[in-house]
Amino acid sequence: MMTYDYDVIVVGGGHAGVEAALAVARMGKTAAIVTMEASKLALMSCNPAIGGIGKSHLVKEIDALGGLMGEAIDATGIQFRRLNLSRGPAVWSTRVQADRIKYNEYVVRFVAAQKNVDVIEGLAGQILADNGRVCGMKTEAGRSVTSRAVIIASGTFLGGLIHIGDKKIRAGRMGEPAAYMLSESLAELGFEIGRLKTGTPPRLDGDTIDWSKCEVQPGEQPLPLFSHRSVREPFEQTPCHLTYTTEATRAIISANFKASPIFSGQIKSTGPRYCPSIEDKFFRFADKPRHQVFLEPEGNGTNEIYPNGFSTALPEKIQYQAVRTLTGLENVRPTRPGYAIEYDYCPAFQVMPSLETRRIKGLFFAGQINGTSGYEEAAGQGLMAGINAVLGIEGEPPFVLDRSEAYIGVMIDDLTTRSTTEPYRLFTSRAEYRLALREDNARDRLYGYAKEHKLIDDNDFVSFVSLQEKTLQEINLLRRKRVRVSEIGKLGDRFQKRESISLEDLLKQPGVTIGDALPILARFDGEFSVDREVLERAAIFIRYRGYVEKQQREIDKFKRMENEKIPEDFDFTAVKGLKQEAFDKFQCFRPVSLGQAGRIEGVTPGDIAVLSVYLKKHKG
Amino acid sequence: MRYGHFLARDGAVIDEIMAVYMPEGRSYTGHDQVEIYCHGGRQVAKMIQDELVAAGARVAEPGEFTRLAFLAGRIDLTRAEAVAEVIESNTDTSFRAARDHLLGGYHNHISQLREALIDIIAEVEASVDYPEEDIDPENRFGLLAQLDVIIANVNELVDTYRGGRIINEGFRIVIGGRPNAGKSSLFNLLLRQERALVTPTPGTTRDYLSEWIELDGFKVNLIDTAGLRQTGGAVEKAGQKSARQILKGANLVIWMVDTTKKSWKRDLGYDLKSLGDTPTMLIGNKIDLLSGAGLKRVKASDAKLIPLSCLTGKGVADLKRAVGSRITDNMPDLTSGVVVTSARHQQKLSKALRSLKAARVKLKKDETPELTAFDLRQAVASIDEITGKIYTEEILGRIFSRFCIGK
Ligand SMILES: Cc1cc2nc3c(=O)[nH]c(=O)nc-3n(C[C@H](O)[C@H](O)[C@H](O)COP(=O)(O)OP(=O)(O)OC[C@H]3O[C@@H](n4cnc5c(N)ncnc54)[C@H](O)[C@@H]3O)c2cc1C
Ligand SMILES: Nc1nc2c(ncn2[C@@H]2O[C@H](COP(=O)(O)OP(=O)(O)OP(=O)(O)O)[C@@H](O)[C@H]2O)c(=O)[nH]1
Ligand SMILES: [Mg+2]
Repeated sequence: MMTYDYDVIVVGGGHAGVEAALAVARMGKTAAIVTMEASKLALMSCNPAIGGIGKSHLVKEIDALGGLMGEAIDATGIQFRRLNLSRGPAVWSTRVQADRIKYNEYVVRFVAAQKNVDVIEGLAGQILADNGRVCGMKTEAGRSVTSRAVIIASGTFLGGLIHIGDKKIRAGRMGEPAAYMLSESLAELGFEIGRLKTGTPPRLDGDTIDWSKCEVQPGEQPLPLFSHRSVREPFEQTPCHLTYTTEATRAIISANFKASPIFSGQIKSTGPRYCPSIEDKFFRFADKPRHQVFLEPEGNGTNEIYPNGFSTALPEKIQYQAVRTLTGLENVRPTRPGYAIEYDYCPAFQVMPSLETRRIKGLFFAGQINGTSGYEEAAGQGLMAGINAVLGIEGEPPFVLDRSEAYIGVMIDDLTTRSTTEPYRLFTSRAEYRLALREDNARDRLYGYAKEHKLIDDNDFVSFVSLQEKTLQEINLLRRKRVRVSEIGKLGDRFQKRESISLEDLLKQPGVTIGDALPILARFDGEFSVDREVLERAAIFIRYRGYVEKQQREIDKFKRMENEKIPEDFDFTAVKGLKQEAFDKFQCFRPVSLGQAGRIEGVTPGDIAVLSVYLKKHKG
Repeated sequence: MRYGHFLARDGAVIDEIMAVYMPEGRSYTGHDQVEIYCHGGRQVAKMIQDELVAAGARVAEPGEFTRLAFLAGRIDLTRAEAVAEVIESNTDTSFRAARDHLLGGYHNHISQLREALIDIIAEVEASVDYPEEDIDPENRFGLLAQLDVIIANVNELVDTYRGGRIINEGFRIVIGGRPNAGKSSLFNLLLRQERALVTPTPGTTRDYLSEWIELDGFKVNLIDTAGLRQTGGAVEKAGQKSARQILKGANLVIWMVDTTKKSWKRDLGYDLKSLGDTPTMLIGNKIDLLSGAGLKRVKASDAKLIPLSCLTGKGVADLKRAVGSRITDNMPDLTSGVVVTSARHQQKLSKALRSLKAARVKLKKDETPELTAFDLRQAVASIDEITGKIYTEEILGRIFSRFCIGK
């Protein structure tokens, strides 16, 4: 029998790679991260922030599944706040500004201390496979390392090509080499490879900005931390600022459209619509007078500022001219130019919902290589790939989350049922069961799985169960206890026709906050929990209970369709009556269930009916 | 398109024909398909069909082609249903409504509503997913106005079902009146057939009779009932009970009055009360037995009876004209082609309407866009159950094309 150097090799120590390796180690297997520079683990290539709408939900889920991202940012954040607080709690989203270097150092230290994980410096150039099964990788320098599973998490480095004006640089990130051989190796193994594009703004010297002309955006107290494992004392947060483009900005940029590789035809791949370059914004929305730009600190130990919203691939000189037309930035000194980058990815129909490739057993893809963009998206996939690599080695069925359970499930399902037309980013609007997938209940949704796969500490689980019990008691108590409408002051205005109401009715009202309720609860002589977390969980639960129950029937129907499994080796040619387009799509995406088949674009209810009839007839 | 001869098994020429081959994906059903055009006349077509069956073909079941077309995604549900209606409809007007469905008028209308709805959802979703963008947050009143238009439209559509149902199921006319008024005689007259038993004995008709006729191009379900009165045996009473119920469910009641009876006016006043608000038309029957003065009195009466003689047929034309215009009054405007004729659609649209109204309340308060979006999406889901679609990508696409978003 062959012996392997490691159970799992992870190629690329970015956000996906790190979570993957840590999950493998937590599950008791050995992992090696093969990456170009050991000191650059989980470096933020672009925006120095974690979280934001939709993404924060991912971080909470990663945390509930024992991942590192939440803890790392909690420890190294310099500004914490929650977006959407004026809306309902289902769409509250934590966003934390990172000290970019400290974050990276924190992860490097954490990985070094983690048993069962080694970091190997090198540039992976070839995936070693034997008989359709992966068995390791070989670096460009010729070193071979063997393993039972390999996870590729190579980010924007595959065939990376940077554009600044008409200048082209082969790189994976500015100043770092690209990985060309690995791309070729994947193509040789038969993988289809596509190309995508993204971009980043220039960086600025904060000491040369006139802050008095910009709006301040302070952080929030108490700190909205991501992880329940984190403890952090209050500290003085570093604010962000908001400024705007001016008429002069438009004039410069509009005069130079042709100088941008995005318009000159030099860049052929598509970038994300949700993250357009500044030239794209002026081009497509010519009548919008100004665009906002957020000025975000890159850390406490640096003056560098990240002008969020000003991504560009214009020639350096024009970028700098243009950035000096922003309010408050008249005398700014740029430190690094912005750029666009094109890179290879493997369209995700080539992976299964476990993120294992269909083509090579034991080979997994995670992160940007699957066509996504963003640290959180990458980390979520890395974690799932790590878990499934171990389950695969152990001969266990894969761990797949569905769309009703987690944003991670929504993301991976989207990836494996749609063709990529732009880098994929999560939005809350992508989740049809959004009201049930909240930040506050990530552990309710996922902790059972985390325990099952030994991703968390048993003690953590026990204490969470007790939190759940307390929450339940609180919910029941809130339903039973009543107050007179005349005794709750202004809050009573909403219930004019009634004499008394339950506390549940009160808390259900949009706009009624925990803060409003606290003095009322205090009248019940210690019957209610003093734990704010318990109360908050109960209140949010109550707020959405009706909607979630209303949606439950849809979820049940959805689950039934998910459980109508299509065998892995199913022969779609045998199904008569499918229209050609559906047939092609099925062959390409190879859906694992009727439910998934129905979500593939271009597939009609009719195709599903045909498929369903066939499956029923040929069961067993 | 090929030209040639259709040969029987024994080699004899059956007809001169033209034939078209439509490869998979290009035909109505999406399957491989051959169409044969032969000369008119059932006989030739029948012979060709027999030959084909003998060679192993199977005759399609009713609606099978449409079902295949739907399954192949060539047409959506509304169109498939419309084809079924065309096949089933047997009168002019319902054919026109069905054909308009088929041509997509209805489909377009629903699609437009759905599009407008997705525009609103995109705005609401943008405010959830992009709280920091400077897209005009005070857009709420504009959105509210847009939503109101949609609600009004769906409302209207739901209302057309009253007429749409008539198109689909027929206009239901119930003939009522006291025993021996001549109800069955009128029934037979309109049917042009001696269907119901007619005798001089009151209480002849015990149960109700139902038949289909065409009137002014409309499909009419004509029903004869047992005469209503206070006395009578057990069987007759049972018949009267069902008659009362049937009268209630009518689109129009034709109430027959025997004008030769002295007490008709008093009786009528009494009977009308029991009919309640069901649309009713009053007929004064047996005018052939009246004197000139008697007829004058009937015509001058406040009751506005339509004078009629089932025996001579006098007044039938007037009666038909009056009934025709009553049907037309109850009919939706068919020229626009947007009439809900299926109970399933009516149900889905009503459900959508409820969600839209719930969304409106929330949109107005503007506190919980995630809940507004929930209701709006439920509304789209209900509409999609009519046409069958998925839409998350559409919403995102809309957001990105409308707003300058992203950092
Ligand atoms: C210019 C730029 C702009 C971006 N803009 C945005 C944005 O606006 N918004 C957003 O959400 N995201 C943006 N991103 C994307 C974000 O950085 C990535 O989505 C995220 O970092 C992906 O994580 P990952 O783990 O897949 O890969 P990465 O974080 O890219 O990490 C990949 C790691 O793998 C290593 N590696 C790669 N290939 C090899 C190899 N063959 N051998 C050894 N090591 C290898 C690299 O050295 C690196 O450490 C941007 C990225 C870039 C470069
Ligand atoms: N002279 C004349 N006789 C009529 C006319 N209409 C009906 N009759 C006669 O009136 C009698 C009753 O007619 P029907 O049609 O059976 O009356 P009906 O209302 O159905 O009676 P029931 O079923 O018993 O309630 C029969 O003898 C008919 O021939 C009419 O216009 N003129
Ligand atoms: Mg009769």
